[in-house]
This record gives sequence, structure tokens and C-alpha cells, in this order.
Amino acid sequence: MKLFVSEGNPHCLKVLAALEVTGVHCDVQYVNHDERVVPFLSRPAVPALLLPSGLHLFSPNAICRYLFEVSGQDSSELCSRWLEWEATDLQPALLQSLHLAVLQGKGSEVSKVLQGPLNYMEQSLRKGNTPYLTGEAVSVADVVLWAALYPVLSDSSLALGECTSVKAWFDRGAVMHSCAAQKVLQGKGLQGMKSFMQRQPAPQSSQCRDAQPCNSN
Amino acid sequence: MALRELSSLEKYLGLKKPNKYSTQGDKKVPVLQNVNGPPLVGLVTVACHLVREAKRPELLGDCAESRAVVQQWLEYRVTKLDGCTREDVKTILKDLNLYLQDKVYMAGNRFTLADTFMFYGIHPLIVDLAVQEKEQYVNVTRWFDHIQHYPGIRHPLPPVVVLRNKIYSSKHH
Repeated sequence: MKLFVSEGNPHCLKVLAALEVTGVHCDVQYVNHDERVVPFLSRPAVPALLLPSGLHLFSPNAICRYLFEVSGQDSSELCSRWLEWEATDLQPALLQSLHLAVLQGKGSEVSKVLQGPLNYMEQSLRKGNTPYLTGEAVSVADVVLWAALYPVLSDSSLALGECTSVKAWFDRGAVMHSCAAQKVLQGKGLQGMKSFMQRQPAPQSSQCRDAQPCNSN
Repeated sequence: MALRELSSLEKYLGLKKPNKYSTQGDKKVPVLQNVNGPPLVGLVTVACHLVREAKRPELLGDCAESRAVVQQWLEYRVTKLDGCTREDVKTILKDLNLYLQDKVYMAGNRFTLADTFMFYGIHPLIVDLAVQEKEQYVNVTRWFDHIQHYPGIRHPLPPVVVLRNKIYSSKHH
């Protein structure tokens, strides 16, 4: 089993954090952002996990789920729900946030973009009244969401404001992924992701583009 | 669309009592109220729940590896296939075509939930393809044709004609 990651790629935080939490043994190889690791994908997809069967996993969430399962921790329905929400709702907002903060120097606009998803998490954490997203113990959902939010929430310019439960939850994970953050962001914070972000297509949900079609003049 | 897929899945699974779903947000994300806990939100989450309810866990994969592969393609369906642009369509079909080159089903040799939902998601793309394009993505159309003839899956989507003999020469490609 071999895990391919690249430096400065925020998606790799998830899998490195999951590897650390589960203690699964696995070769980790650092590659360039542009390296085509998964033979059937035309766009570079890192992180990727080469399974013993020879198949490749290219979804960071599926890789994390797999690492948890082989370490004996099956994902609950609640976990699946958080992982789906992360992929469909949080990721588009995060991509837009990182684009704003890392490439356009508009870090001040990040909290506006993330407000909706963070409020949703805040409400769920308050309602559940547990230290972690799915209960009393750390699950794959916590690891995936900690790592996804790490780049923006660890940046001091983003104030969490009223989201006190999110803040308390996030602080519970700080120790665990500080190491992954060092490996991926090399301690440079958001700027550590610059070369990765420059290779990403501009986020589709960019509101100004939706409001003003290019042929409007 | 998502609700129609879930009711098709219920029929396929032979669940006697149809569930009542609500939707959430602009994207009409399906929600299923759950007596045993918080509501289930999201197409993948609800679909996996129905499969467990019907006691058909093998549809989610029969080992850790295939379970991860199934989840990966379910995620691909709701993040990449749904809402893809015209430009994306070519890349998606090209990648899937290469992926399916040596596979019968999305997760290898067994039919899983990934086939069902990739099929529903890709159906509108295949309907739009010209005959010549279908030949270009021969592995995708072979898989697609196989799934649309799989008992209880296609309904209520219209069948798509897939020619089994090439009528264009591939020399031009």
C-alpha cells in the first residue's frame, strides 16, 4: 500500500492526519502537484492511495474512510453524512476561500464565504452536545473536517465569532494534525499552498462571475 | 431527480413501504427523517441507509477495498458528475472509459450501488452523445448498456440505443 501526497496541497492534510490517528502502516511518497499518479485520470489527482489489489483511490475522503476501516473503526451513518456534506457543501466554499485568501490577498472576505457552513456545524455541535462530531470519540468525520478547515481556521485573521462550539471542537484536534500541517504546509500557513492553488481552476461558485455573464456588455 | 432515484432504488431493493422524503436548500438535497437518530441528509447517505435497511450490505462492497471504491464513486457522482460543465463532460467520459477498460462494474467484478448511481448520473450525458462519440467511449457505453439491462435498475429512465457493431472507422482518431 502506498500513499502519494504533495507539499502545500490542503487535501493531503486529511489523509496524513488519518494515517497518524489510525496508526496504519503505509509508504508515503511525496510527488509534484502535476504528477499523474492515478493512471486513468487525465488531471493530476493527489492524494492517491495505491491499494494492495492494484486499484487506486483518488478521493481523500474515501482514503480516510478506508484507513479507519482497516484499523478496525467502521464509519457510522452519521460519519457518512458528515463526509458527504464536507464534499458537496463545505469543499466548494473552502475552495473559494482559499482562492480569495491565498491568490487574491482578500483574506478578509473569507469569513463571509464560510459563514453558512460554519453556522451549520455550530448548530449541529450544539444540538448533539458531544465533544466530537459523531459522539464522545474521534471519528473519521472529525479528522476529515479538522483537516479540511485547518488551513483557514488556523489562520489568525479569520475570527470564529459566535461559533464557540466549532472553536472548542477545532481546538480538540489541534495537537493531532499539527504534525500533518508541518508536513504539508511546511509551517508557512496559507502561503504554503500558493503553488498548489495556482494550478487549480478558479472556483465555479465565484459569485461575481455568476451575476455578470461575460457577454453582458 | 434525486428523489426519483431513491424511489427507484427502493423498488429495486424490494422495500415494501415507500419512504417520504423532504428536500433541503437550493440544490434540493434529499432528507429522510430517521426514527433512530438525527435525519439523514444527502443522496449518498440516504441511499446507503436504504441498502442497509434492505439487508443488502454486499451492494456497498464485499471487502474494505471495494467498500472504499464504492464510496469513492458515489462521492464522484455527487461532486463531479452532478453540475458538470460541457467542458468537464469530455474529461469525465475519457477518464471513465479508461477506468472501465478492464472492469465489468464500477467496483470490479460485482454489481454495487456505485453502478446504480453512476448510471443515473451519467444517463443524461449518454443521451446527448452522437453515435460516433459513443464509439469513442466504447467501454463506458458497454458498461452503460450492461447496467441499463440489469434487472430493476433503468426504470423510469428511457433506454438508450447502443450499437454493438462499429459503423465508423476508428482510423480518424
